[in-house]
Amino acid sequence: MKKKNINTFESELSRLQEISDLLDNDELDLETAMKLYEEGVELSSSCIQTLKGAEVRITEIKKKLDKIKTEDEEFLE
Amino acid sequence: MSTLLTVSEITKEIKQILEDGFANVSIIGEISGFKAHVSGHWYFNLKDSNAVISCTMWKGVNSSVFFTPQDGMKVIVGGRITVYPLRGNYQVDVRSMRPAGAGELQAAFELLKQKLAAEGLFDQKYKKPLPVLSKKIGIITAIDGAAFQDMISVAERRFPLVEILVSPTRVQGTGAAENIAENIKELNKYKDIDIIILARGGGSIEDLWAFNEEIVARAIFDSKIPIVTGVGHEVDFTIADFVADLRAPTPSAAMELLTPDKNDFISFISEFENNSLQMIERIFQSKKEKVHNALDSYGFRTPAGILRRRTQEVDNILYKILQCTDKNILIKNNRLSLLVKSIESHDLQRTLKKGFVLVKQESKFITRSEYFNKDTAASLKFYDGEVTVKISE
Repeated sequence: MKKKNINTFESELSRLQEISDLLDNDELDLETAMKLYEEGVELSSSCIQTLKGAEVRITEIKKKLDKIKTEDEEFLE
Repeated sequence: MSTLLTVSEITKEIKQILEDGFANVSIIGEISGFKAHVSGHWYFNLKDSNAVISCTMWKGVNSSVFFTPQDGMKVIVGGRITVYPLRGNYQVDVRSMRPAGAGELQAAFELLKQKLAAEGLFDQKYKKPLPVLSKKIGIITAIDGAAFQDMISVAERRFPLVEILVSPTRVQGTGAAENIAENIKELNKYKDIDIIILARGGGSIEDLWAFNEEIVARAIFDSKIPIVTGVGHEVDFTIADFVADLRAPTPSAAMELLTPDKNDFISFISEFENNSLQMIERIFQSKKEKVHNALDSYGFRTPAGILRRRTQEVDNILYKILQCTDKNILIKNNRLSLLVKSIESHDLQRTLKKGFVLVKQESKFITRSEYFNKDTAASLKFYDGEVTVKISE
């Protein structure tokens, strides 16, 4: 499964929050409101997909030959 | 007479007697003058109120002691007496050491706690703030322990986007405290770690003792990355807990504290569509209201007012015109009737001129003979004037 960076998720989520705040303004013109709404719908489906498809990424620090080796270890359901 | 012996000879004999006679002893006493040499060997005295005996515990042997001895701690040591001829003294070669009672560990715990508290290691002002969202969590624990699996399960369930960097660590027994301290330093080399969980599952006070060691306390205090402890069960408090930036009651609870619930995100996101539609409708309503308000505003009302006023003026003028017209017609009618009368009278004059006479009695024209009254005077109207005649028999 394609892994999405938590930073992407975080920025998408904060943009969604921003859109939500922007829409909470009666002074907004309708065209902008509709554009924001469309963007928000796209972001929300992306965020939910990311959350539902995510798996905890575990890296183990292994100390061998005085060098730190890291190794990705996937914990699949 | 006694035999004359050299110092070496007598020392050798003493050594033999002592080492044979005390090849396996158990001694209870209080530790004093404890010194852990850089070589790894321990040097200390055991004493009671009337006597003192010096002790050594070699590097390879002392690693089996789960706690770091402190002065004043009452311990039971096992070992043998050895004589050191060069100094002419004897000492205990300690092979094992344990606290003389459960109270001893508790006492050591209290002692260290007081010492570190006095130094300010537990002060609130040194507690580092926790990140709002921990994206990468460092874990210091035994990787094969249940505690680790529990923490991973919590992370999976709550916030699977989190990244975990685990540093497999000895959390019990020989060298555990050193290993913990070392790995705290190690994880501090990773700049992208937001927070460290120091964890261990439940166990006896001996099992958890590494977390009560000074070396661990100082490593936690020196860590640049905030540390959350989750050691043992809810009732267990360790020195590490006091120094840590936050104490969680268990390893799972530590992970729970650091991970947001993904369901909260999902419901927030799911709410978005619903909420934003409502917001857009509200925006639309507010626009509609504004249009209505504008239409009702003074600016828009004025033209309509002007129109009404003009209409009224037109009405007034029209009314006046109509009134004037009526009057004119009346005047014209009057004049017309006058003319008609004059025309009529003109016609009568012409007839009289021809010699006809009009007979009038009591101011009335008598047009038929039967209306004529013989007893009354009559007036005769000629073209050129009237005469009154009296009728006589």
